[in-house]
Amino acid sequence: MDPKNSRFSTQISHLALDIGGTLIKLVYFSPNGDNCEDGSIVVGNGCSVVQGRLCFAKFETRKIDDCLDFIRFNILQHSGVQHTNGTARDKLSVKATGGGAFKFADLFKEKLGIVFDKEDEMHSLVCGVNFLLKTVPREAFTYLDGQKEFVQIDHNDLYPYLLVNIGSGVSMIKVDGDGKYERISGTSLGGGTFLGLGKLLTKCKSFDELLELSHQGNNRVIDMLVGDIYGGTDYSKIGLSSTAIASSFGKAISDGKELEDYQPEDVARSLLRMISNNIGQIAYLNALRFGLKRIFFGGFFIRGLEYTMDTISVAVHFWSRGEAKAMFLRHEGFLGALGAFTSYKDQSHSTELKPHHHTVERAVLKCSDDDSFRHIPVTANVNDGEAIECSINLV
Amino acid sequence: MDPKDYRFSTQISHLALDIGGTLIKLVYFSPNGDNCEDGSIVVGNGCSVVQGRLCFAKFETRKIDDCLEFIRFNILQHSGVQHPNGTAGDKISVKATGGGAFKFAELFKEKLGIVFDKEDEMHSLVSGVNFLLKTVPREAFTYLDGQKEFVQIDHNDLYPYLLVNIGSGVSMIKVDGDGKYERISGTSLGGGTFLGLGKLLTKCKSFDELLELSHLGNNRVIDMLVGDIYGGTDYSKIGLSSTAIASSFGKAISDGKELEDYQPEDVARSLLRMISNNIGQIAYLNALRFGLKRIFFGGFFIRGLEYTMDTISVAVHFWSRGEAKAMFLRHEGFLGALGAFTSYKDKSHGNDLKPHHHAVQRAVLNCSGDDNCRHIPITANLSDGEAIECSINLV
Repeated sequence: MDPKNSRFSTQISHLALDIGGTLIKLVYFSPNGDNCEDGSIVVGNGCSVVQGRLCFAKFETRKIDDCLDFIRFNILQHSGVQHTNGTARDKLSVKATGGGAFKFADLFKEKLGIVFDKEDEMHSLVCGVNFLLKTVPREAFTYLDGQKEFVQIDHNDLYPYLLVNIGSGVSMIKVDGDGKYERISGTSLGGGTFLGLGKLLTKCKSFDELLELSHQGNNRVIDMLVGDIYGGTDYSKIGLSSTAIASSFGKAISDGKELEDYQPEDVARSLLRMISNNIGQIAYLNALRFGLKRIFFGGFFIRGLEYTMDTISVAVHFWSRGEAKAMFLRHEGFLGALGAFTSYKDQSHSTELKPHHHTVERAVLKCSDDDSFRHIPVTANVNDGEAIECSINLV
Repeated sequence: MDPKDYRFSTQISHLALDIGGTLIKLVYFSPNGDNCEDGSIVVGNGCSVVQGRLCFAKFETRKIDDCLEFIRFNILQHSGVQHPNGTAGDKISVKATGGGAFKFAELFKEKLGIVFDKEDEMHSLVSGVNFLLKTVPREAFTYLDGQKEFVQIDHNDLYPYLLVNIGSGVSMIKVDGDGKYERISGTSLGGGTFLGLGKLLTKCKSFDELLELSHLGNNRVIDMLVGDIYGGTDYSKIGLSSTAIASSFGKAISDGKELEDYQPEDVARSLLRMISNNIGQIAYLNALRFGLKRIFFGGFFIRGLEYTMDTISVAVHFWSRGEAKAMFLRHEGFLGALGAFTSYKDKSHGNDLKPHHHAVQRAVLNCSGDDNCRHIPITANLSDGEAIECSINLV
């Protein structure tokens, strides 16, 4: 390869997008060093191997322009393939998944000269999880009795499992092997419901704000408990303690209070409990259906919040009498984007697109815990500390 | 028996209560004619058979005094066992179920001299359904494609079935025979959630008002549909049309609107859809678990509303690929009270209690479809037209 071309192509941060109903998730490869002379390149067998890291960023879908700017200034610019007007000189093919790969295809072409190479959403999610579980240690963990415990994944005993991706809505996918999966269920009571109802009920402005509120809330203010109906006692005959929730938001019927009379913290707490418990229950019922013992939870709903992980874990472990286990993922929200990213394997689909093929082959088995990630000036929700050191083969 | 005593005991409307988290349900027997000389009495084998009807009434649990008044003036008074202070002359034992049988036991004893003979809630629900299915024709019906169709129940092929009682919260009970049952599941997203969230979001004051609002609403205003994420197309690969709901209340995230900017009709509609669909799904998943083909829905959630029945029926029939059927009940909200009522079989439990034993044995196989239930002056939620003509044996 002509070195000049090589510099352009190696400096392009290989990029994949997962554009969902609420969030846009980016995965891109950032080579070590600012230009490729400094980066570690090993040339052999007609291909180059570049060391660097997989980086992650997310944006709100309704603020898609922020995402376009990020890509323009941080990725296209460095790649040297940019026109003066900010679009790619030649059309770039970029892997994209999620509904937005369809919905915003024209926008990306027009504004950035990027052509979406679409990948199926379910397929991407599954590829993403499988990739993470196989290449990144300390990716999956359980949360029980206040304890976080990383899970050692036995690659020979990985399948089958249930993947529950909690996005705006929820998809539940039975995974039987690499690329072998079936979406068996889902629910429309997902992250979008939590945030949507939360915004209407509490005037808060963001997901993180709602989670923050819920920290301080007490769900017993608004939820009707078994004890409220039974006058303080358990209904032990059917295994329900007096503090079990009989009816979410049930007290709002008879309290004689208006919405304004309730603490937003309590509302947020009850809402979080309601959605988390419901997802845990439907997940468990589906795992039971197919005899699945492990349930991996993906999507940006959980965000490491202990109350959520506890609610889901209890729902799964308790109702399955220990048969099924709930497991969480460090890169939970980037499954689709990662799956799309790892699908760059084939030759370019048409001759006028620049060949940006790569295969992520030798990911260094090490997650960076420290703040080694290079900060990009443009405001973006870049996930510090979650970058994955790896090397990729450029073909 | 001394005829005078007899008159008192036959005129006592045999009564059973189901006191839940939100509603108090009453079933009582009203003999034909105002005094027993007019009523049809057949004496034989040491027992009397009285013709009359089972009547139904309901009250809000938070307005329990209305219920006490109703019982005092319409039942105790007629029975002639009342003290001048309004309580029962001797303590009367009355069958009661639901949590309120515990919570309000003291209140009823103090105010009316009524001692609760407590019946288990699950047991009463099951007895109530079995009683209705066996003795009342045209009790159960399906609702498909806008068509209501009564179901002919084959008594030899009744079991097993799934009973889903939608009260403040939801209980799901697998019924294997008369008195043979197990509560296998439930959900805290029930009628109480619908009304609780509904009151907070729309300022409406009652369940019926909320249902009324939902009639005129359009769920697509607030719900995020598959088409909203995918730019108008279906996600046919996984069987979701563009109008399928991906995320309930998901649009409230990005609309830039406040709660006040939404039409309460649309909010009510989305809420009803969300709760109904969720119940249908969890019901179906539990029916699947045990190979149950029939799911009977009880409780006061449905109230004959077509949108609700349609949502639940679709959730059940569609996801079970026609394996399971959703069935609704005319006396849906009175299952527990009826079950408690039919448990008056044994002798009185204590010597100081008046013997009000009766066994509902020969219910005339004829539901009164017309409005011949005797109207009681005090404002009570009498279910007109749902009275069941029957005869009871007095022992």
